[in-house]
Amino acid sequence: MATTAAPFDQATHHAHVDDRSFLRKYLFSTDHKIIGIQFLLMSLLFLALGGTLAMVMRWQLGYPGQAMPGGGILPETMAPGGILLPEFYIALVTMHGTFMVFFAIMPLLVGVFANFLIPLKIGAPDMAFPRINMASFWIAVPAGILMLAGFFVEGGHAGAGWTAYAPLSALPEMTGVSWGQQLWCLSLVILGLSSILGSMNYIATIINMRAPGMTWFRLPLSIWALFITSILVLLAIPILSGAAIMLLFDQVIGTHFFLPAEGGQPLLWQHLFWFFGHPEVYILILPAMGFVSDIIANGSRKPIFGYHSMVFAIIGIGFLGWVVWGHHMFQSGMNPTLGMTFMISTMFIAVPSAIKTFNWMGTMWRGSIQFHVPMLHAIAFVAMFVIGGLSGVFMAATPVDIYIHDTYFIVAHIHYVLFGGSLFALFGAITFWYPKMFGRLMSPFWGKVHFALTFVFYNLVFWPMHELGLKGHMRRIYDPSQYEFLQPLQPMNTFITVSAFLLFAVQIIFALNFILSWFFGAKAGRNPWNDTGLEWSTPSPAPHGNFERTPTVYHAPYEFSHPQVTEDFLPQDRQLEGQSRPAAAPAGH
Amino acid sequence: MAEAKRHHPNYIGIFIMLAVLTAAELGVAFVSAFSRNVLLLILIVLAVWKALLVALYFMHLRFETNRVRILAIAPLPLAVIMVVAVITEYVW
Amino acid sequence: MTHAETGVMLPPVEAESGSGVYNEKLGMWVFLASEVMFFTALIGSYIILRFGNPLQWAAPGQILNVPITAINTFLLICSSVTMVKAFAAAQDDDQQWLRTWLLATTLIGATFVGVQVYEYLQLAHHGFLPSGYREGHELAEAAAQGGAYKGGPALPASIALYGATFFTMTGFHGFHVTMGVICLSFVTWKAFQGRYSATDHRGVEVIGLYWHFVDLVWIILFTIVYLI
Repeated sequence: MATTAAPFDQATHHAHVDDRSFLRKYLFSTDHKIIGIQFLLMSLLFLALGGTLAMVMRWQLGYPGQAMPGGGILPETMAPGGILLPEFYIALVTMHGTFMVFFAIMPLLVGVFANFLIPLKIGAPDMAFPRINMASFWIAVPAGILMLAGFFVEGGHAGAGWTAYAPLSALPEMTGVSWGQQLWCLSLVILGLSSILGSMNYIATIINMRAPGMTWFRLPLSIWALFITSILVLLAIPILSGAAIMLLFDQVIGTHFFLPAEGGQPLLWQHLFWFFGHPEVYILILPAMGFVSDIIANGSRKPIFGYHSMVFAIIGIGFLGWVVWGHHMFQSGMNPTLGMTFMISTMFIAVPSAIKTFNWMGTMWRGSIQFHVPMLHAIAFVAMFVIGGLSGVFMAATPVDIYIHDTYFIVAHIHYVLFGGSLFALFGAITFWYPKMFGRLMSPFWGKVHFALTFVFYNLVFWPMHELGLKGHMRRIYDPSQYEFLQPLQPMNTFITVSAFLLFAVQIIFALNFILSWFFGAKAGRNPWNDTGLEWSTPSPAPHGNFERTPTVYHAPYEFSHPQVTEDFLPQDRQLEGQSRPAAAPAGH
Repeated sequence: MAEAKRHHPNYIGIFIMLAVLTAAELGVAFVSAFSRNVLLLILIVLAVWKALLVALYFMHLRFETNRVRILAIAPLPLAVIMVVAVITEYVW
Repeated sequence: MTHAETGVMLPPVEAESGSGVYNEKLGMWVFLASEVMFFTALIGSYIILRFGNPLQWAAPGQILNVPITAINTFLLICSSVTMVKAFAAAQDDDQQWLRTWLLATTLIGATFVGVQVYEYLQLAHHGFLPSGYREGHELAEAAAQGGAYKGGPALPASIALYGATFFTMTGFHGFHVTMGVICLSFVTWKAFQGRYSATDHRGVEVIGLYWHFVDLVWIILFTIVYLI
């Protein structure tokens, strides 16, 4: 692997003379790479916060009613004497979900990597609309601040779950929370605008700004995944915005959209929320699948098995994801016939995901596997996603769901796909593209230590939750011991809590690796992973303007072990003997 | 590319159509001869006709490529699915 | 090789053929797709709630002022015509008419918003709010009395859903019109500065698409909110 420093000399760089001020270069930058890094730093902070909230929750579940060490710093309204109040616990549950979904995973997958990767991997100098891109980040910041503010207002933070079901979320007299829930709604509407502007940018860029030769079926799967994800964001987020506005109106101006007293419909909230919410969960997994495809091909030194079927699987998931939302509502009292249609469509959607899983395995089969850190995470993704997906099949069957809905079985499923899936993929992706972002490599040794410990503790935390759920342990519950049938499960809860604390502590390794490598990591060359993507033709870190000259693409995205070259990889923009430049595409085609 | 006088669609003609259709809607809405369902159908047909005129001629979809047209109509099936599915909560 | 050499009204030539239209136009169509979904949430909820609670709505014209709104609708359609005429003028490099039509569009749009604000104030005065009847005001009293109202049937016991959906749908439409007027002002100003030509009038076309969309939504809203 090349680790010699590639000197980046601005004087010989043709694309742009970069004489911007510090403020324009790093704070109010229109450069997609800087914006991606801004999202990265913001999201990692929220990821840490979301994890911290989970640790406090786990304290209560592991040691119910006991004073939390250090809990004394919390105010009386949250934890008098360090003992969590039920109202505070439910706010923790709500905010853990909210922060993780909206401010950590979604921006990490989309805000960071759509921004950073798309122009680089398609051969463009930047996004189609760089200033709107900048606005997209700076609109997300006040949304984050508003969401944080909820902890400090009277009545405490929103306490209706990240799904904010009405009428609980619409009536302050039910939760004791007024400002907190309103801030929740407002924050999401603002964040929604940021996401919509971003997705518009990504879609326009991918459609219109691909370099010559970068046809649709030469796009790396990470870009295909980000493209379909952006379409989902574009069309699903506005539904949430509309619904959140209606909920806010119910809270503050006396409307009755979701309140039964005057004919409103609580189920309407659920339908609107999940009509958004189901595409949302595909938004949370598709980019991860895309990164994993890129990384597994790289780590196996083989082209992706079944590239075309991978593309159609992504498109299939994107399409089907719109007609399965009712499976979140089987227990809501919805029309049972309608519920049946959702069961059928949900069973169908397992198919494209299965295709992808077999193709990843087919890629690795008889490959020359390099167990670098991103590859470890990618392989773990496949295994954990399979588990999470299989538990999904149980939930898809309505009769089974009657029993396991709103139990820890669901919590196990969520975390297997979101942590075992998305987060592992993110650890891999961050490690993989770190050199292109910062010009340095993260420590492989500490990366492997972090991976191994995380993998072990993560499974110790979430696997037992399947069993808790099957035994009837419900979600979002402050004190399970109030039910006699749950009392025997307390030791398992405590076990999970201890594992969770260890899991959280291990993430410090990742944090330190991330921060310290920025300053002390081994300098990276252009292509430390010997990868085929266009981004690896640029210096590390990639310069403003990306490419000295617009690249021309000659090959498919995963030409590893290509017979016509001696190296075991063939970059997409490397012209072989006898290959001619593709003719410039006629306009208006 | 800078033609002195390029051929434009008949915008004023479309405008007159729109005005006529609006007047027709107003006329129909306050005539009680129709049953409620028929009234609903006529009004929606008129509204959709007007919307199509705006989309096809003012937004130039009539003269755009298929790619742009697909982009324009893409969200509509989703809107229909959502409304129809949720209405079955009241029916069936 | 940049866009400038080939004209900006075409897609970037150095790239693979994509949508066949320039970036800003593609971006606006993509954005409008998201706007369709936003209005789907609001209008879809209206359709659903009304379908399930038909008795909670007054007859057309009893509470809402159809004549004024019909004129307002006509105005908005006019502004759509002036907008497309402005675009045609830009294509023909007719700076004089470009400015005139843009100015007309902006002013008519502002008028539309003004009339809507007036309408809202009138409704509140008569006793129609997002929460339904306003206690102690005309409509609430008429409903309490129970007799025929303004030539139509008795008013419903509760118009909470009517109020909620009416104000939210028309309110957010009005918000979108207001945003449109602000952008139109900016485009009109640029036109007066002579910044648009036959070879580059992207801003005119793009704001035009947005403006026609806003008109299109109103065409639907006027019918299903005021006339049904």
